[in-house]
Amino acid sequence: MRGAIAAPRGWLESAGDVAIFCARVLSQIASGRVLRFTGESLRQAGILILSSALVICGLVFIIGLQCGIEGAYFTRAQGTPAYAGVFSAWCDLRELVPYAFGYMMAAKVGTGLVAEIGSMRITDEIDAMEVMGIPSIAFLCATRLVAAWIVLPFVYIAAVGAGFFASYLAVVVQIGEVSSGGFFLIFWMFQNPPDLLFSVIKGMAMATTIVLIGLYYGYHASGGPVGVGTATAKSMVVNIVLVHLIGMLGTQVFWGANPRAPIGG
Amino acid sequence: MMILTGKTIVSAARPPYPYGGEFVSQFMFVLRLVWFPLIVSTVAFGYGAPGLQAANFLVLFGALDRLGGFFVLASIREFAPFVTAIVVAGVAGTAITADLGARKIREELDALQVLGVDPVKNLVVPRFLALMLVTGLFDIYALLFGIFGGILATLVNGAPLGPFWATFFTNASTTDLWGSVLKCTMFGAIIAIVCCYKGMTASGGAEGVGRAVNQAVVIALLGVFAFNYVFTQTLLATHPEITVIR
Repeated sequence: MRGAIAAPRGWLESAGDVAIFCARVLSQIASGRVLRFTGESLRQAGILILSSALVICGLVFIIGLQCGIEGAYFTRAQGTPAYAGVFSAWCDLRELVPYAFGYMMAAKVGTGLVAEIGSMRITDEIDAMEVMGIPSIAFLCATRLVAAWIVLPFVYIAAVGAGFFASYLAVVVQIGEVSSGGFFLIFWMFQNPPDLLFSVIKGMAMATTIVLIGLYYGYHASGGPVGVGTATAKSMVVNIVLVHLIGMLGTQVFWGANPRAPIGG
Repeated sequence: MMILTGKTIVSAARPPYPYGGEFVSQFMFVLRLVWFPLIVSTVAFGYGAPGLQAANFLVLFGALDRLGGFFVLASIREFAPFVTAIVVAGVAGTAITADLGARKIREELDALQVLGVDPVKNLVVPRFLALMLVTGLFDIYALLFGIFGGILATLVNGAPLGPFWATFFTNASTTDLWGSVLKCTMFGAIIAIVCCYKGMTASGGAEGVGRAVNQAVVIALLGVFAFNYVFTQTLLATHPEITVIR
């Protein structure tokens, strides 16, 4: 009986630790203390663009192709191949681009943060920083979160573009049952700017969570080189579960009560 | 990585077979790590993406009973293997890379080789086989919970479940099921090879292990998705009968 309670209690405790850590990082940003390190924020933003933007867009591109062929075959089976655009518009923008973005963020950026900050922690660099009077949470963690907020909306929109392009390629060029104009007519009819805004909000919620979780596991790594590897693996587990939960909640909140489709009333 | 794949397959088939115990322990290890994240992920994914969005669309036409048919396409053909691969790569794959990477930089792998123990046969082969088997089996599990997400979406819309099951079973086919399981098994193989390779070639101390995990999961995801695209395309094009809506 005690064993059965121990595991959930452990999860609850670590959830509390994560929450305290996130509050500390966010308070550094809210109080403006992070502005002292604007240069570092911009440097991190540059690293994020150079190292991650391309691979995120690449994964979203493959997912876009996938959406395109599934949509083309599904609508062909219903005898409405001209409507492949509906499937692509909804599948790309509303669901799979946020998910693919979240997966790749967790895999590339989240684990990268854990590996980087975790190795700083176990080589005592963070302690050295504190001794020298540099606030390590503001300098290491808050700047990276600010960098993510500066860069990622643009990366996300670029990824949406890559997904759309891939769906277009799959439906129009590869399967070739719809003309380009016919595809775009339906495609644009079934989405509007608020949909894009909701999708960006969903993606940014995932990105913020992933960066915070990555920072937490990196900052609290312990136990030598093995510890860094284990912390990296653990952060990935938590991130994947959270990405799916945020995706579900986002869909429920934004589109659950109102499908926002140009059909009927 | 191709060389490692070849070596793994050859040494898995050639006697002696010393990896039985390691195989079982890896199998149990993956099972223990993955079951909970997989439940949460598949229910959330099934409820959100295909469930709510498709239900929204179908409610507009007053045809919510077709949701069952849509779940054959969505859950069996796409999302169950796909979510399983993501979760296995993220949870079990990272753990394998971290484990092998730590052994590499503590020079345990070199020590094994000096003792005349082949690391490919004793470490990589059991992980490869265990991950293939467990990913294939988890596909069925993910499928059940994905459909549970669809049932939730149906109930949220206040519709009875009978029509959902009726259209589900008239549309489901054995081809879909074996395609899904086969695809998922191949995902497991890709993940195992990438993660073992990156773990065994880790270098550069603490940061090296972290970086190896990072690269392993990125390459595994890209590989899985690229393979998924090719496989789905081939399956749909060579079996036109499974795309017919009944």
